Amino acid sequence: MTGTAAREWTKVSAFIRKNWLMARRNIFTVFEVVFWPTVGVLSVGLLTRFLDLTPETTAFILIGTLALSIIQVCQLDVAYAILFEMWAKGIKHQFLAPIGLWHLALGSWLMGILRGLAVFALLAGLGWWGFGFDFFHPGPAALVAFLLGLFLNAVIIGLGVCTLLLLFGLRAEVSAWSAVSLILLLAGIYYPVSLLPPPVAAVAAAIPLTYFLDAFRAHYGFAPVFEAALLKGFATSLVYLALTYGALGAALTHARRRGTLLRLSE
Amino acid sequence: MGLSPAVEIHDLEKSFRSGWPRRRVQPALRGVTFSVPRGVIFAILGPNGAGKTTLLSILATLLLPDRGSARVLGHDVVREPHRVRERVNMSSGNANFLWSLTPREILDIFARLAGVTGRVRRVRVEALLDLLELRGHAEVPYSELSTGLKQRLALAKALVNEPELLILDEPTVGLDPDVSVRIRAQIAALRRERGTTILLSTHYMREAEELADEIVFLRDGRILARGDADSLKRRIKVGDAVSLVLADPAAWERLRALPGVLACASRDGRVECVVDDARKRLPDLLRHLHEAGVEVHDLRVTEPDLEAVFLELAR
Repeated sequence: MTGTAAREWTKVSAFIRKNWLMARRNIFTVFEVVFWPTVGVLSVGLLTRFLDLTPETTAFILIGTLALSIIQVCQLDVAYAILFEMWAKGIKHQFLAPIGLWHLALGSWLMGILRGLAVFALLAGLGWWGFGFDFFHPGPAALVAFLLGLFLNAVIIGLGVCTLLLLFGLRAEVSAWSAVSLILLLAGIYYPVSLLPPPVAAVAAAIPLTYFLDAFRAHYGFAPVFEAALLKGFATSLVYLALTYGALGAALTHARRRGTLLRLSE
Repeated sequence: MGLSPAVEIHDLEKSFRSGWPRRRVQPALRGVTFSVPRGVIFAILGPNGAGKTTLLSILATLLLPDRGSARVLGHDVVREPHRVRERVNMSSGNANFLWSLTPREILDIFARLAGVTGRVRRVRVEALLDLLELRGHAEVPYSELSTGLKQRLALAKALVNEPELLILDEPTVGLDPDVSVRIRAQIAALRRERGTTILLSTHYMREAEELADEIVFLRDGRILARGDADSLKRRIKVGDAVSLVLADPAAWERLRALPGVLACASRDGRVECVVDDARKRLPDLLRHLHEAGVEVHDLRVTEPDLEAVFLELAR
Protein backbone atom coordinates (compact mmCIF):
# COMPACT_ATOMS: atom_id res chain seq x y z
CA MET A 1 0.00 0.00 0.00
CA THR A 2 1.38 3.44 -0.89
CA GLY A 3 1.90 6.05 1.81
CA THR A 4 -1.22 8.01 0.90
CA ALA A 5 -3.39 4.89 0.59
CA ALA A 6 -2.06 3.63 3.92
CA ARG A 7 -2.89 6.94 5.62
CA GLU A 8 -6.39 6.99 4.16
CA TRP A 9 -7.03 3.39 5.18
CA THR A 10 -5.73 4.17 8.68
CA LYS A 11 -8.34 6.92 9.01
CA VAL A 12 -11.06 4.49 7.89
CA SER A 13 -9.75 1.90 10.37
CA ALA A 14 -10.22 4.40 13.23
CA PHE A 15 -13.99 4.07 12.86
CA ILE A 16 -13.85 0.29 12.56
CA ARG A 17 -11.70 0.06 15.68
CA LYS A 18 -13.82 2.49 17.66
CA ASN A 19 -17.08 0.70 16.88
CA TRP A 20 -15.44 -2.67 17.50
CA LEU A 21 -14.14 -1.66 20.93
CA MET A 22 -17.44 -0.07 21.90
CA ALA A 23 -19.38 -3.10 20.67
CA ARG A 24 -17.16 -5.45 22.69
CA ARG A 25 -17.89 -3.59 25.91
CA ASN A 26 -21.54 -2.78 25.33
CA ILE A 27 -24.19 -5.16 26.60
CA PHE A 28 -26.52 -3.84 23.88
CA THR A 29 -24.36 -5.62 21.31
CA VAL A 30 -25.75 -8.92 22.58
CA PHE A 31 -29.26 -7.60 22.15
CA GLU A 32 -28.60 -6.07 18.73
CA VAL A 33 -26.74 -9.02 17.21
CA VAL A 34 -28.28 -11.99 19.01
CA PHE A 35 -31.37 -11.32 21.10
CA TRP A 36 -33.63 -9.20 18.92
CA PRO A 37 -32.83 -10.99 15.61
CA THR A 38 -33.39 -14.36 17.31
CA VAL A 39 -36.67 -13.25 18.85
CA GLY A 40 -37.70 -11.80 15.49
CA VAL A 41 -37.04 -14.88 13.39
CA LEU A 42 -38.41 -17.34 15.98
CA SER A 43 -41.62 -15.42 16.66
CA VAL A 44 -42.30 -14.79 12.99
CA GLY A 45 -41.38 -18.37 12.08
CA LEU A 46 -43.66 -19.80 14.76
CA LEU A 47 -46.45 -17.49 13.61
CA THR A 48 -46.14 -18.91 10.11
CA ARG A 49 -46.49 -22.41 11.63
CA PHE A 50 -49.57 -21.39 13.61
CA LEU A 51 -51.17 -19.84 10.54
CA ASP A 52 -50.25 -22.99 8.60
CA LEU A 53 -48.70 -20.98 5.78
CA THR A 54 -47.26 -22.63 2.71
CA PRO A 55 -43.45 -23.02 2.52
CA GLU A 56 -43.38 -20.28 -0.14
CA THR A 57 -45.27 -17.79 2.03
CA THR A 58 -43.10 -18.72 5.00
CA ALA A 59 -40.04 -18.03 2.85
CA PHE A 60 -41.52 -14.69 1.82
CA ILE A 61 -41.94 -13.61 5.44
CA LEU A 62 -38.64 -15.01 6.75
CA ILE A 63 -36.73 -13.20 4.01
CA GLY A 64 -38.40 -9.99 5.21
CA THR A 65 -37.44 -10.72 8.82
CA LEU A 66 -33.85 -11.43 7.84
CA ALA A 67 -33.66 -8.23 5.80
CA LEU A 68 -35.06 -6.14 8.62
CA SER A 69 -32.62 -7.53 11.21
CA ILE A 70 -29.56 -7.12 9.00
CA ILE A 71 -30.42 -3.57 7.95
CA GLN A 72 -31.16 -2.54 11.51
CA VAL A 73 -27.89 -3.78 12.96
CA CYS A 74 -25.78 -2.46 10.08
CA GLN A 75 -27.35 1.01 9.97
CA LEU A 76 -26.92 1.33 13.73
CA ASP A 77 -23.17 1.02 13.30
CA VAL A 78 -23.17 3.90 10.82
CA ALA A 79 -25.33 5.98 13.17
CA TYR A 80 -23.01 5.08 16.09
CA ALA A 81 -20.18 6.94 14.35
CA ILE A 82 -22.00 10.10 15.49
CA LEU A 83 -24.21 8.80 18.31
CA PHE A 84 -21.44 7.45 20.55
CA GLU A 85 -19.60 10.76 20.34
CA MET A 86 -22.78 12.69 21.09
CA TRP A 87 -23.52 10.52 24.11
CA ALA A 88 -19.94 11.04 25.30
CA LYS A 89 -20.21 14.80 24.62
CA GLY A 90 -16.99 14.67 22.65
CA ILE A 91 -18.09 14.98 19.05
CA LYS A 92 -15.96 18.04 18.34
CA HIS A 93 -12.75 16.02 18.68
CA GLN A 94 -13.78 13.70 15.87
CA PHE A 95 -14.36 16.63 13.52
CA LEU A 96 -11.11 18.34 14.53
CA ALA A 97 -9.29 15.47 12.87
CA PRO A 98 -8.25 15.72 9.20
CA ILE A 99 -10.87 13.27 7.99
CA GLY A 100 -13.44 13.32 5.23
CA LEU A 101 -16.98 12.12 5.75
CA TRP A 102 -16.19 9.14 3.56
CA HIS A 103 -13.74 7.85 6.17
CA LEU A 104 -16.53 7.96 8.74
CA ALA A 105 -19.12 6.42 6.43
CA LEU A 106 -16.90 3.65 5.07
CA GLY A 107 -15.30 2.69 8.40
CA SER A 108 -18.53 2.48 10.35
CA TRP A 109 -20.28 0.77 7.43
CA LEU A 110 -17.59 -1.94 7.24
CA MET A 111 -18.08 -2.63 10.95
CA GLY A 112 -21.83 -2.71 10.28
CA ILE A 113 -21.31 -5.25 7.51
CA LEU A 114 -19.32 -7.41 9.91
CA ARG A 115 -22.11 -7.33 12.48
CA GLY A 116 -24.72 -7.76 9.73
CA LEU A 117 -22.95 -10.90 8.51
CA ALA A 118 -22.96 -12.24 12.07
CA VAL A 119 -26.73 -11.67 12.19
CA PHE A 120 -27.12 -13.36 8.81
CA ALA A 121 -25.16 -16.41 9.96
CA LEU A 122 -27.29 -16.65 13.11
CA LEU A 123 -30.62 -16.25 11.33
CA ALA A 124 -29.65 -18.57 8.47
CA GLY A 125 -28.82 -21.22 11.07
CA LEU A 126 -32.03 -20.64 13.02
CA GLY A 127 -34.12 -20.62 9.83
CA TRP A 128 -32.63 -23.94 8.77
CA TRP A 129 -32.85 -25.52 12.21
CA GLY A 130 -36.28 -24.23 13.21
CA PHE A 131 -38.19 -24.04 9.98
CA GLY A 132 -36.18 -25.95 7.39
CA PHE A 133 -35.66 -22.75 5.45
CA ASP A 134 -32.58 -22.51 3.22
CA PHE A 135 -31.31 -18.96 2.72
CA PHE A 136 -28.59 -20.34 0.43
CA HIS A 137 -31.07 -21.84 -2.01
CA PRO A 138 -30.84 -18.99 -4.59
CA GLY A 139 -27.09 -19.59 -4.95
CA PRO A 140 -24.05 -17.52 -3.98
CA ALA A 141 -24.38 -14.78 -6.62
CA ALA A 142 -28.02 -14.02 -5.77
CA LEU A 143 -27.29 -14.16 -2.06
CA VAL A 144 -24.29 -11.82 -2.33
CA ALA A 145 -26.33 -9.37 -4.44
CA PHE A 146 -29.15 -9.50 -1.88
CA LEU A 147 -26.84 -8.95 1.09
CA LEU A 148 -25.01 -6.15 -0.70
CA GLY A 149 -28.37 -4.54 -1.39
CA LEU A 150 -29.28 -4.78 2.29
CA PHE A 151 -25.98 -3.27 3.33
CA LEU A 152 -26.41 -0.43 0.84
CA ASN A 153 -29.87 0.29 2.27
CA ALA A 154 -28.34 0.23 5.74
CA VAL A 155 -25.65 2.78 4.94
CA ILE A 156 -28.24 5.05 3.31
CA ILE A 157 -30.45 4.93 6.41
CA GLY A 158 -27.42 5.30 8.71
CA LEU A 159 -26.19 8.38 6.88
CA GLY A 160 -29.73 9.79 7.01
CA VAL A 161 -29.78 9.27 10.78
CA CYS A 162 -26.34 10.94 11.09
CA THR A 163 -27.68 13.90 9.11
CA LEU A 164 -30.64 14.27 11.46
CA LEU A 165 -28.34 13.99 14.49
CA LEU A 166 -26.11 16.81 13.24
CA LEU A 167 -29.13 18.95 12.46
CA PHE A 168 -31.21 18.33 15.57
CA GLY A 169 -28.77 16.87 18.10
CA LEU A 170 -29.90 14.17 20.49
CA ARG A 171 -33.55 15.07 19.86
CA ALA A 172 -33.10 13.01 16.68
CA GLU A 173 -31.58 9.93 18.32
CA VAL A 174 -34.90 8.11 18.20
CA SER A 175 -34.51 8.05 14.40
CA ALA A 176 -31.67 5.53 14.80
CA TRP A 177 -34.23 2.96 15.96
CA SER A 178 -37.35 4.13 14.13
CA ALA A 179 -36.13 4.89 10.59
CA VAL A 180 -36.05 1.19 9.76
CA SER A 181 -39.67 0.79 10.86
CA LEU A 182 -40.78 3.24 8.20
CA ILE A 183 -38.92 1.22 5.59
CA LEU A 184 -40.58 -1.90 7.02
CA LEU A 185 -43.99 -0.40 6.35
CA LEU A 186 -43.24 0.82 2.85
CA ALA A 187 -40.83 -1.69 1.30
CA GLY A 188 -43.01 -4.77 1.76
CA ILE A 189 -41.08 -6.62 4.44
CA TYR A 190 -44.02 -8.90 5.28
CA TYR A 191 -46.30 -8.43 2.27
CA PRO A 192 -46.04 -7.76 -1.46
CA VAL A 193 -46.00 -4.06 -2.32
CA SER A 194 -48.81 -4.77 -4.79
CA LEU A 195 -51.09 -4.81 -1.72
CA LEU A 196 -50.36 -1.19 -0.98
CA PRO A 197 -52.69 1.57 -2.20
CA PRO A 198 -51.36 3.02 -5.48
CA PRO A 199 -49.88 6.26 -4.05
CA VAL A 200 -48.09 4.31 -1.29
CA ALA A 201 -46.97 1.68 -3.80
CA ALA A 202 -45.37 4.50 -5.79
CA VAL A 203 -43.42 5.48 -2.68
CA ALA A 204 -42.44 1.82 -2.18
CA ALA A 205 -41.11 1.76 -5.74
CA ALA A 206 -38.78 4.59 -4.80
CA ILE A 207 -37.19 2.53 -2.00
CA PRO A 208 -34.22 0.39 -3.09
CA LEU A 209 -34.99 -2.36 -0.56
CA THR A 210 -38.28 -3.08 -2.37
CA TYR A 211 -36.31 -4.21 -5.44
CA PHE A 212 -33.80 -6.32 -3.54
CA LEU A 213 -36.59 -8.16 -1.70
CA ASP A 214 -38.45 -8.66 -4.97
CA ALA A 215 -35.37 -10.06 -6.71
CA PHE A 216 -34.45 -12.44 -3.88
CA ARG A 217 -38.00 -13.70 -3.35
CA ALA A 218 -38.24 -14.52 -7.06
CA HIS A 219 -35.77 -17.37 -6.35
CA TYR A 220 -38.38 -18.87 -3.99
CA GLY A 221 -41.15 -19.00 -6.58
CA PHE A 222 -42.73 -15.57 -6.27
CA ALA A 223 -43.40 -13.84 -9.54
CA PRO A 224 -41.32 -10.66 -9.59
CA VAL A 225 -43.31 -7.43 -9.42
CA PHE A 226 -40.57 -5.39 -11.07
CA GLU A 227 -38.51 -5.97 -14.18
CA ALA A 228 -34.73 -5.87 -13.77
CA ALA A 229 -35.29 -5.51 -10.03
CA LEU A 230 -31.61 -5.89 -9.06
CA LEU A 231 -30.50 -3.28 -11.56
CA LYS A 232 -33.14 -0.85 -10.30
CA GLY A 233 -32.21 -1.67 -6.71
CA PHE A 234 -28.53 -0.85 -7.22
CA ALA A 235 -29.29 2.20 -9.35
CA THR A 236 -31.67 3.73 -6.80
CA SER A 237 -29.27 2.79 -3.99
CA LEU A 238 -26.46 4.73 -5.63
CA VAL A 239 -28.72 7.74 -6.11
CA TYR A 240 -29.81 7.69 -2.46
CA LEU A 241 -26.26 7.09 -1.30
CA ALA A 242 -25.12 10.20 -3.16
CA LEU A 243 -28.08 12.18 -1.82
CA THR A 244 -27.64 11.16 1.82
CA TYR A 245 -23.86 11.64 1.64
CA GLY A 246 -24.43 15.14 0.25
CA ALA A 247 -27.05 15.83 2.92
CA LEU A 248 -24.63 14.73 5.65
CA GLY A 249 -21.97 17.07 4.27
CA ALA A 250 -24.48 19.93 4.24
CA ALA A 251 -25.59 19.09 7.78
CA LEU A 252 -21.97 19.17 8.97
CA THR A 253 -21.46 22.59 7.38
CA HIS A 254 -24.70 23.73 9.04
CA ALA A 255 -23.44 22.38 12.38
CA ARG A 256 -20.16 24.28 11.96
CA ARG A 257 -22.09 27.43 11.18
CA ARG A 258 -24.55 27.13 14.09
CA GLY A 259 -22.05 25.96 16.68
CA THR A 260 -23.82 22.61 17.09
CA LEU A 261 -20.53 20.69 17.37
CA LEU A 262 -19.54 22.86 20.33
CA ARG A 263 -22.94 22.67 22.01
CA LEU A 264 -22.99 18.89 21.69
CA SER A 265 -19.54 18.71 23.29
CA GLU A 266 -20.46 20.59 26.48
CA MET B 1 10.10 33.97 1.20
CA GLY B 2 9.55 34.00 4.97
CA LEU B 3 7.12 31.75 6.77
CA SER B 4 3.60 33.08 7.16
CA PRO B 5 2.49 33.88 10.71
CA ALA B 6 0.96 31.02 12.66
CA VAL B 7 -2.34 32.88 12.82
CA GLU B 8 -3.64 35.87 10.88
CA ILE B 9 -7.10 37.11 11.71
CA HIS B 10 -8.73 40.08 10.05
CA ASP B 11 -12.02 41.69 11.06
CA LEU B 12 -13.47 38.38 12.27
CA GLU B 13 -17.16 38.40 13.20
CA LYS B 14 -19.40 35.66 14.52
CA SER B 15 -22.92 35.71 15.94
CA PHE B 16 -25.06 32.88 17.25
CA ARG B 17 -28.73 32.67 16.42
CA SER B 18 -31.25 30.89 18.57
CA GLY B 19 -34.96 30.77 19.35
CA TRP B 20 -37.99 30.22 17.20
CA PRO B 21 -40.12 31.87 15.87
CA ARG B 22 -38.43 34.96 17.31
CA ARG B 23 -34.75 34.78 16.47
CA ARG B 24 -32.29 36.03 19.02
CA VAL B 25 -28.90 37.08 17.72
CA GLN B 26 -26.01 36.96 20.15
CA PRO B 27 -22.81 38.54 18.82
CA ALA B 28 -19.73 36.61 19.96
CA LEU B 29 -16.94 38.26 17.96
CA ARG B 30 -17.11 41.82 16.63
CA GLY B 31 -14.31 42.58 14.21
CA VAL B 32 -11.33 40.86 15.82
CA THR B 33 -7.99 41.45 14.12
CA PHE B 34 -4.56 40.19 15.18
CA SER B 35 -1.73 37.94 14.12
CA VAL B 36 0.42 35.47 16.02
CA PRO B 37 4.03 34.82 14.99
CA ARG B 38 5.28 31.25 14.91
CA GLY B 39 6.89 29.66 17.91
CA VAL B 40 5.28 31.81 20.61
CA ILE B 41 2.80 31.16 23.36
CA PHE B 42 -0.07 33.54 22.83
CA ALA B 43 -2.72 33.92 25.51
CA ILE B 44 -6.28 35.11 25.11
CA LEU B 45 -7.74 36.45 28.32
CA GLY B 46 -11.25 37.55 28.99
CA PRO B 47 -14.28 37.09 31.22
CA ASN B 48 -16.96 34.47 30.52
CA GLY B 49 -18.76 35.20 27.27
CA ALA B 50 -15.89 37.31 25.94
CA GLY B 51 -15.65 35.17 22.79
CA LYS B 52 -12.47 33.23 23.61
CA THR B 53 -13.83 29.77 22.82
CA THR B 54 -15.60 31.05 19.71
CA LEU B 55 -12.36 32.52 18.42
CA LEU B 56 -10.34 29.37 19.12
CA SER B 57 -13.04 27.16 17.62
CA ILE B 58 -13.00 29.14 14.38
CA LEU B 59 -9.23 28.71 14.19
CA ALA B 60 -9.64 24.97 14.82
CA THR B 61 -12.28 24.83 12.00
CA LEU B 62 -15.05 23.74 14.36
CA LEU B 63 -16.97 26.93 13.63
CA LEU B 64 -17.46 28.99 10.52
CA PRO B 65 -17.11 32.77 10.84
CA ASP B 66 -19.84 35.10 9.57
CA ARG B 67 -17.43 37.70 8.24
CA GLY B 68 -13.75 38.45 8.01
CA SER B 69 -10.88 36.09 7.39
CA ALA B 70 -8.72 33.75 9.41
CA ARG B 71 -5.60 32.02 8.17
CA VAL B 72 -3.77 29.37 10.12
CA LEU B 73 -0.21 28.50 9.07
CA GLY B 74 -1.00 30.15 5.74
CA HIS B 75 -4.25 28.24 5.12
CA ASP B 76 -7.69 29.83 5.08
CA VAL B 77 -9.86 28.15 7.73
CA VAL B 78 -12.98 28.32 5.55
CA ARG B 79 -11.53 27.36 2.17
CA GLU B 80 -8.83 24.91 3.28
CA PRO B 81 -10.09 23.42 6.56
CA HIS B 82 -8.58 20.01 5.83
CA ARG B 83 -5.09 21.51 5.47
CA VAL B 84 -5.57 23.35 8.74
CA ARG B 85 -6.71 20.21 10.59
CA GLU B 86 -3.63 18.32 9.38
CA ARG B 87 -1.32 20.82 11.10
CA VAL B 88 -3.36 21.98 14.09
CA ASN B 89 -4.89 20.33 17.11
CA MET B 90 -6.95 21.49 20.03
CA SER B 91 -7.46 20.51 23.62
CA SER B 92 -10.08 21.95 25.90
CA GLY B 93 -10.47 21.89 29.64
CA ASN B 94 -13.85 20.20 29.50
CA ALA B 95 -12.86 17.51 27.00
CA ASN B 96 -14.84 14.28 26.90
CA PHE B 97 -14.06 10.98 25.26
CA LEU B 98 -15.85 7.64 24.89
CA TRP B 99 -16.52 6.39 28.37
CA SER B 100 -15.48 2.78 28.05
CA LEU B 101 -12.25 3.27 26.10
CA THR B 102 -8.87 3.42 27.81
CA PRO B 103 -6.33 6.23 27.33
CA ARG B 104 -4.19 3.97 25.13
CA GLU B 105 -7.21 3.13 22.93
CA ILE B 106 -8.33 6.76 22.74
CA LEU B 107 -4.87 7.94 21.69
CA ASP B 108 -4.64 5.09 19.17
CA ILE B 109 -7.99 6.02 17.61
CA PHE B 110 -7.15 9.72 17.36
CA ALA B 111 -3.73 8.89 15.92
CA ARG B 112 -5.52 6.77 13.31
CA LEU B 113 -7.88 9.65 12.56
CA ALA B 114 -4.81 11.81 12.01
CA GLY B 115 -3.54 9.24 9.50
CA VAL B 116 -0.58 8.07 11.59
CA THR B 117 0.19 4.58 10.35
CA GLY B 118 1.55 1.31 11.74
CA ARG B 119 4.61 1.29 13.95
CA VAL B 120 4.94 5.08 13.99
CA ARG B 121 1.49 5.25 15.58
CA ARG B 122 2.26 2.65 18.22
CA VAL B 123 5.53 4.35 19.16
CA ARG B 124 3.87 7.77 19.29
CA VAL B 125 1.01 6.59 21.47
CA GLU B 126 3.43 5.03 23.96
CA ALA B 127 5.59 8.18 23.94
CA LEU B 128 2.55 10.34 24.69
CA LEU B 129 1.52 8.06 27.55
CA ASP B 130 4.98 8.66 29.02
CA LEU B 131 5.11 12.38 28.25
CA LEU B 132 1.80 13.11 29.95
CA GLU B 133 2.47 10.60 32.75
CA LEU B 134 -0.48 8.42 31.81
CA ARG B 135 1.26 5.07 31.60
CA GLY B 136 0.05 3.90 34.98
CA HIS B 137 -3.53 4.54 33.86
CA ALA B 138 -3.22 3.41 30.25
CA GLU B 139 -5.69 0.54 30.71
CA VAL B 140 -8.25 2.32 32.90
CA PRO B 141 -11.61 3.14 31.25
CA TYR B 142 -12.02 6.87 30.61
CA SER B 143 -15.06 7.08 32.88
CA GLU B 144 -12.90 6.01 35.84
CA LEU B 145 -10.13 8.59 35.34
CA SER B 146 -9.76 11.60 37.65
CA THR B 147 -10.30 15.11 36.27
CA GLY B 148 -6.56 15.73 36.18
CA LEU B 149 -5.90 12.54 34.23
CA LYS B 150 -8.71 13.38 31.79
CA GLN B 151 -7.14 16.77 31.24
CA ARG B 152 -3.73 15.24 30.62
CA LEU B 153 -5.29 12.76 28.22
CA ALA B 154 -6.94 15.65 26.35
CA LEU B 155 -3.54 17.29 26.01
CA ALA B 156 -1.98 14.01 24.86
CA LYS B 157 -4.76 13.60 22.29
CA ALA B 158 -3.99 17.08 20.98
CA LEU B 159 -0.40 16.01 20.31
CA VAL B 160 -1.10 12.84 18.29
CA ASN B 161 -0.55 14.62 14.96
CA GLU B 162 2.47 16.58 16.25
CA PRO B 163 0.71 19.88 15.53
CA GLU B 164 2.59 23.01 14.51
CA LEU B 165 -0.14 25.05 16.20
CA LEU B 166 -1.65 23.80 19.42
CA ILE B 167 -4.87 25.42 20.59
CA LEU B 168 -5.57 25.09 24.30
CA ASP B 169 -8.93 26.24 25.58
CA GLU B 170 -8.76 26.59 29.37
CA PRO B 171 -6.32 23.67 29.73
CA THR B 172 -6.11 23.82 33.53
CA VAL B 173 -9.68 24.71 34.42
CA GLY B 174 -10.93 22.88 37.50
CA LEU B 175 -7.60 21.24 38.29
CA ASP B 176 -5.77 21.03 41.60
CA PRO B 177 -2.86 23.49 41.81
CA ASP B 178 -0.18 20.78 41.67
CA VAL B 179 -1.70 19.25 38.52
CA SER B 180 -2.02 22.73 36.95
CA VAL B 181 1.66 23.39 37.60
CA ARG B 182 2.61 20.13 35.86
CA ILE B 183 0.42 20.84 32.86
CA ARG B 184 1.86 24.36 32.56
CA ALA B 185 5.35 22.90 32.66
CA GLN B 186 4.42 20.50 29.88
CA ILE B 187 2.98 23.34 27.79
CA ALA B 188 6.14 25.40 28.25
CA ALA B 189 8.26 22.38 27.31
CA LEU B 190 6.30 21.86 24.10
CA ARG B 191 7.21 25.33 22.90
CA ARG B 192 10.78 25.06 24.14
CA GLU B 193 11.58 21.59 22.83
CA ARG B 194 9.38 21.31 19.74
CA GLY B 195 8.92 24.94 18.73
CA THR B 196 5.14 24.45 18.77
CA THR B 197 3.12 27.66 18.51
CA ILE B 198 0.58 27.64 21.32
CA LEU B 199 -2.63 29.60 21.44
CA LEU B 200 -4.05 29.54 24.91
CA SER B 201 -7.23 30.82 26.45
CA THR B 202 -7.40 31.03 30.20
CA HIS B 203 -9.11 32.61 33.15
CA TYR B 204 -5.97 32.36 35.22
CA MET B 205 -3.83 35.46 35.18
CA ARG B 206 -0.87 33.67 36.66
CA GLU B 207 -1.02 31.11 33.87
CA ALA B 208 -0.94 33.80 31.20
CA GLU B 209 1.76 35.75 33.00
CA GLU B 210 3.90 32.66 33.48
CA LEU B 211 3.53 31.15 30.02
CA ALA B 212 2.63 33.73 27.43
CA ASP B 213 4.93 35.82 25.31
CA GLU B 214 1.99 37.90 24.28
CA ILE B 215 -1.53 38.45 25.57
CA VAL B 216 -4.77 39.83 24.16
CA PHE B 217 -7.68 40.87 26.34
CA LEU B 218 -11.04 40.10 24.84
CA ARG B 219 -14.33 41.45 26.11
CA ASP B 220 -17.74 41.32 24.44
CA GLY B 221 -16.10 39.99 21.29
CA ARG B 222 -13.62 42.87 20.97
CA ILE B 223 -9.93 43.14 21.68
CA LEU B 224 -9.35 45.66 24.45
CA ALA B 225 -5.59 45.43 24.75
CA ARG B 226 -2.62 43.49 23.45
CA GLY B 227 0.98 43.14 24.51
CA ASP B 228 3.30 41.26 26.83
CA ALA B 229 2.44 41.14 30.52
CA ASP B 230 4.80 43.97 31.51
CA SER B 231 3.79 46.34 28.76
CA LEU B 232 0.12 45.74 29.52
CA LYS B 233 0.65 46.54 33.17
CA ARG B 234 2.40 49.74 32.22
CA ARG B 235 -0.10 50.71 29.57
CA ILE B 236 -3.25 50.11 31.58
CA LYS B 237 -1.81 52.15 34.44
CA VAL B 238 -3.53 50.43 37.26
CA GLY B 239 -0.71 51.78 39.41
CA ASP B 240 1.81 50.40 41.91
CA ALA B 241 0.85 49.84 45.52
CA VAL B 242 3.04 51.49 48.20
CA SER B 243 2.40 50.29 51.72
CA LEU B 244 3.97 52.17 54.65
CA VAL B 245 4.03 52.04 58.44
CA LEU B 246 4.54 55.58 59.74
CA ALA B 247 5.51 56.78 63.21
CA ASP B 248 2.74 59.37 62.89
CA PRO B 249 -0.24 57.57 61.36
CA ALA B 250 -2.07 60.83 60.73
CA ALA B 251 0.65 61.97 58.32
CA TRP B 252 -0.89 59.94 55.47
CA GLU B 253 -3.37 62.73 54.69
CA ARG B 254 -0.48 64.87 53.42
CA LEU B 255 0.58 62.22 50.92
CA ARG B 256 -2.66 62.44 48.97
CA ALA B 257 -1.74 65.83 47.56
CA LEU B 258 1.63 64.72 46.15
CA PRO B 259 1.98 64.46 42.35
CA GLY B 260 1.46 60.94 40.97
CA VAL B 261 -0.40 59.67 44.03
CA LEU B 262 -3.68 58.25 42.73
CA ALA B 263 -5.18 57.22 46.06
CA CYS B 264 -4.24 56.93 49.71
CA ALA B 265 -5.91 55.39 52.76
CA SER B 266 -5.04 54.21 56.22
CA ARG B 267 -5.93 50.63 57.17
CA ASP B 268 -5.00 48.62 60.25
CA GLY B 269 -2.05 50.82 61.07
CA ARG B 270 -0.67 50.81 57.53
CA VAL B 271 -0.88 53.55 54.97
CA GLU B 272 -1.80 52.16 51.57
CA CYS B 273 -1.14 54.42 48.60
CA VAL B 274 -1.49 53.79 44.88
CA VAL B 275 0.98 55.69 42.73
CA ASP B 276 1.21 55.83 38.95
CA ASP B 277 4.84 54.65 38.93
CA ALA B 278 6.59 53.60 42.14
CA ARG B 279 10.10 53.97 40.72
CA LYS B 280 9.38 57.59 39.81
CA ARG B 281 7.30 58.67 42.82
CA LEU B 282 8.89 56.86 45.74
CA PRO B 283 11.90 59.23 46.18
CA ASP B 284 9.57 62.28 46.31
CA LEU B 285 7.25 60.52 48.71
CA LEU B 286 10.06 59.56 51.11
CA ARG B 287 11.67 62.99 50.83
CA HIS B 288 8.37 64.60 51.72
CA LEU B 289 7.95 62.40 54.80
CA HIS B 290 11.58 63.00 55.83
CA GLU B 291 11.19 66.78 55.54
CA ALA B 292 8.00 66.59 57.61
CA GLY B 293 9.90 64.63 60.26
CA VAL B 294 7.77 61.54 59.91
CA GLU B 295 9.68 58.34 60.52
CA VAL B 296 9.02 55.41 58.19
CA HIS B 297 9.07 52.07 60.04
CA ASP B 298 8.21 49.80 57.12
CA LEU B 299 7.87 50.12 53.37
CA ARG B 300 6.62 47.68 50.76
CA VAL B 301 6.11 48.23 47.04
CA THR B 302 3.95 45.90 44.99
CA GLU B 303 3.71 46.02 41.21
CA PRO B 304 0.25 45.33 39.81
CA ASP B 305 -0.32 41.79 38.61
CA LEU B 306 -2.15 40.86 35.48
CA GLU B 307 -5.27 40.27 37.53
CA ALA B 308 -5.43 43.98 38.31
CA VAL B 309 -5.03 44.76 34.61
CA PHE B 310 -7.75 42.28 33.80
CA LEU B 311 -10.12 43.73 36.39
CA GLU B 312 -9.43 47.22 35.12
CA LEU B 313 -10.15 46.18 31.53
CA ALA B 314 -13.18 44.12 32.39
CA ARG B 315 -14.71 47.04 34.32
